[in-house]
Amino acid sequence: MYYRIKAQNLAQLYQKAASEFDALPAFAIRKKALEWEPVSYKALYEKGLDLGTALIELGVNARDHVGIFSDNRFEWILADYAVQCCGAADVPRGRDITNAELVYIINHSELAVAFVETEELMQRVLNLKNQLPALREIIVLDESIDVPQGVRKIHDVCKTGQKLRQDGDKRIEKRMQDIKPDDLFTLIYTSGTTGTPKGVMLTHANIMSQIQNLPGQFNCNDRILSVLPIWHVFERLIEMYTISFGGCTFYSSVQHLAEDMRNVEPTFMASAPRIWEKLYERILKKVKSSHWMRQLLFHVAHFLARQYNGSIYYMSNRNLQMRFYPLWERILCMPFYLIRWLIVLPWYGFFNAAVLERIRLGAGGGLKTTISGGGALPFHVDKFFNNVGIPVLEGYGMTETTPVISVREKRNLVVGTVGSPIKETQIKIIDIETSRVLYPNAELPYNGKMQKGEIWVKGPQVMKAYYKEPELTQKTIVDGWLRTGDIGVMTHNNNLKILGRFKATIVLKGGENVEPEPLEMSLQQSPFIENCIVAGQDKKFLGVLIIPSLIDFWQAGFKEKTIQELVKNDIATKIIRNDVRRITSTANGFKKYEQIRYIGYLNDSFKIGQELTNLFKLKRHVIMKKYSKQLSDLFEAEFKK
Amino acid sequence: MEFTTQLLYPIDQALLALMIFVIMLGMGASLTIDDFKAVFRSPKGIFIGFLSQFGFMPFMAFALGYFLKLQPAFAIALILIGCLPGGTTSNMFTYFSRGSVALSISMTTASTVLAIVMMPILLNLYAAGYTAQITAELQAAGSDAVFVIPTANIVTSLILVLVPVVIGMFIRIKWPDWAKTAEDTAGFMGMIVILYLIITAFLRHGTLFLLTPFEVYFGAISVGLIGFLFGFTLARLLGIAPVFQRAISLETGIQNGPLSFAVIILSFNEPVQSQMVWLAILYSTFIVISSSVITLIYRKIGAFDYDIYRNTLIHNRLFGDNYFTHYPKNFLPKRLKKDPSQGNAPAQKRAY
Repeated sequence: MYYRIKAQNLAQLYQKAASEFDALPAFAIRKKALEWEPVSYKALYEKGLDLGTALIELGVNARDHVGIFSDNRFEWILADYAVQCCGAADVPRGRDITNAELVYIINHSELAVAFVETEELMQRVLNLKNQLPALREIIVLDESIDVPQGVRKIHDVCKTGQKLRQDGDKRIEKRMQDIKPDDLFTLIYTSGTTGTPKGVMLTHANIMSQIQNLPGQFNCNDRILSVLPIWHVFERLIEMYTISFGGCTFYSSVQHLAEDMRNVEPTFMASAPRIWEKLYERILKKVKSSHWMRQLLFHVAHFLARQYNGSIYYMSNRNLQMRFYPLWERILCMPFYLIRWLIVLPWYGFFNAAVLERIRLGAGGGLKTTISGGGALPFHVDKFFNNVGIPVLEGYGMTETTPVISVREKRNLVVGTVGSPIKETQIKIIDIETSRVLYPNAELPYNGKMQKGEIWVKGPQVMKAYYKEPELTQKTIVDGWLRTGDIGVMTHNNNLKILGRFKATIVLKGGENVEPEPLEMSLQQSPFIENCIVAGQDKKFLGVLIIPSLIDFWQAGFKEKTIQELVKNDIATKIIRNDVRRITSTANGFKKYEQIRYIGYLNDSFKIGQELTNLFKLKRHVIMKKYSKQLSDLFEAEFKK
Repeated sequence: MEFTTQLLYPIDQALLALMIFVIMLGMGASLTIDDFKAVFRSPKGIFIGFLSQFGFMPFMAFALGYFLKLQPAFAIALILIGCLPGGTTSNMFTYFSRGSVALSISMTTASTVLAIVMMPILLNLYAAGYTAQITAELQAAGSDAVFVIPTANIVTSLILVLVPVVIGMFIRIKWPDWAKTAEDTAGFMGMIVILYLIITAFLRHGTLFLLTPFEVYFGAISVGLIGFLFGFTLARLLGIAPVFQRAISLETGIQNGPLSFAVIILSFNEPVQSQMVWLAILYSTFIVISSSVITLIYRKIGAFDYDIYRNTLIHNRLFGDNYFTHYPKNFLPKRLKKDPSQGNAPAQKRAY
């Protein structure tokens, strides 16, 4: 029943999908909540060939780069079909790209032809034209706008191509046959958390290996909801993966997500931690405002689900094994877990049916799995959804690895980890200071499991190189091993656990290494903390800059209109201070030196594109620069001593 | 075996009464006027349901009692269970087995109303032999009492039990949010009380479980299982869609257990009451287990069909009623191609 197309490159995948799935809907475009327009595999492919032929006519050669600056929309995938089929590679970026980035990327990747989504973006590119000597053609995706002389509209271009093909133009078919596995399909410029954009060169071989190796069982009656930015390789992979089994991708957006989840009832989706955090908060809020009897039922159900799943995880060897569990201990403990399981079973059965099912319906009810990527999923959110029966699987990867390195599988689901490496993928853990291989290493106890170090990865998904950056490439890929820059360990049941970003590591004056990310993630569990950044490089103790969550303070009865006023209220700051102390206490697993001494406040939320990446990760260097004054004030007390 | 000790203490009786009240309230809270109207919209399913619930089940219960040579009180209790209408739990199980919940609700509604007439008739019909036997036993023991099926009492108790159902429906209309809570609470209550009864029975009369003859267990378990099997087969033979097959199957096997307690306690006296209650407890316990298992099986078997059905439904919901989902050749198995309720068919042609 499960079927996946095998192909050599994306163009071939598109072709095979068109002949295999024919009239099945490939993509659905949202018009209204209950009105979507389907586009079939066949129609999309034909249109893609038309547009591709027109691109060839416009002078796009095989292995050229073509820009696509757009957010998720149907024309994006159409442009991608065209670019892939004419043997070129695309350079994608979202609508929120800055002018500086536009200039850098277009010039660095030598774009002659670029698709732009909106009028605003088109205007910006036109204004920058004198800085973009090589850019010849601009094609606008949005049909509703008027374009000036020299700019084309995508559907007009399509028509030109259609005419050519009707007259017997077969150039595109020839191009498709000439695509080599080593040719690029995309050149993605990462905004990343550090430095200038880098062009990641990903090949057809890279993405085809991912499509084949990604675990999961789907077929052509699956529905996929698309919310993450399409120019991000994770969402891109999931859409290509969907094409390989004939599912239908529904283009949603963040503001319509909850509604679309209920209407589309997706069976699979790529997601980011933020989506689940939001949903988690919404569920808890809804519970809190409901009848006390309902609250009670919810809490009982959640409690039972924890007991039930806890037993199942232990008995099936899927608990988080941060230490070694000897066989005798497992055997000894097994009866207790079995008894607990049996006691809980009937109650869990009832509550699962009566209470938890309703929570699942909030996520559409039909979700078989969802892979969360692009950032760490907070542990409590992770546990919650897997307990209530929404299988949120956490994956791990980076743009440089197309992107999946490892992902949890449903049958081997260990909450709190990012699963085992996918097929054909090898992992090494390397000591940061000595560069010694820690895992796999037969000399160390348990073959080096639970040894903390930098993760190196080798596999068919590893990028070709950074574009025009041979030195950087050499530094990043060593003997075919890609240095991820992430710190992790291999648990005793062979699952990778990510501990933080190696470059974000704070080294305190005393020489202690602190990973700020786990701290920040824990701090954000406090309802009163909207966001925060932990700092303290070369300082004696850690400090944190906090953006208080004004809305939650209002709900708690505070009257202050702004954060400036709020932080003058001693009761409010005391609440935050207590929360910080409680959360970072040794009881919660933090070391003594990881406790936070200094607390400062910021008045404005972090914004996407400025302080946050599109996936809500902190851009540390940006924040450090912007708030350098607040940061130095924070540590003032230390200097006075 | 002997049932010299009283099985139910006053406190248990009070608890049972409370449970019945809450469960029936919950049942009412799950019903709307539309559900009654829907009964007339799917007459075929309802008719099959009627055949299996009031035609087959009582007869099968009688036959089981006869062939297992059960004691009269047990046999009467078994027949009583056979004559019961469907309960709300069947709706929940149908939902999870991916059957038609709408049909399940319609069947529950129709059978509950019809039960007022059908139950006394059927009980008198099938239990006639046993009443004579009990009377003979009583007279042999020196009493001149005559045992008859308390028809009037049964009708009264059925009507009495319908009062909280009506209250529940009223709550649903007035406070819809509250109704959901009442529904879940009712299910939870039911579980607690049944478990309480079993545990106290175990503590007070631990030997009861051992004393109960094997045939009684067999009867209590198989009355549900045979019901599932019969409902499923009948619906299948009549060429009804799988979603309806699963609904009819579960509806036939799952009877309104709490109602049996109400009828037994309100209408029957000792010496038969304790034995009858005991059988009702056994049935209520085992039916939860067996329907859970059946539901899991149906869910597994029906997963693919259900996915196809859901996909078609959503395509029609989002792409318009005229949208036709063309699956690739050989993707749909033969059974689905023929099935008008799902798969390769636009919405108008589907049965619901």
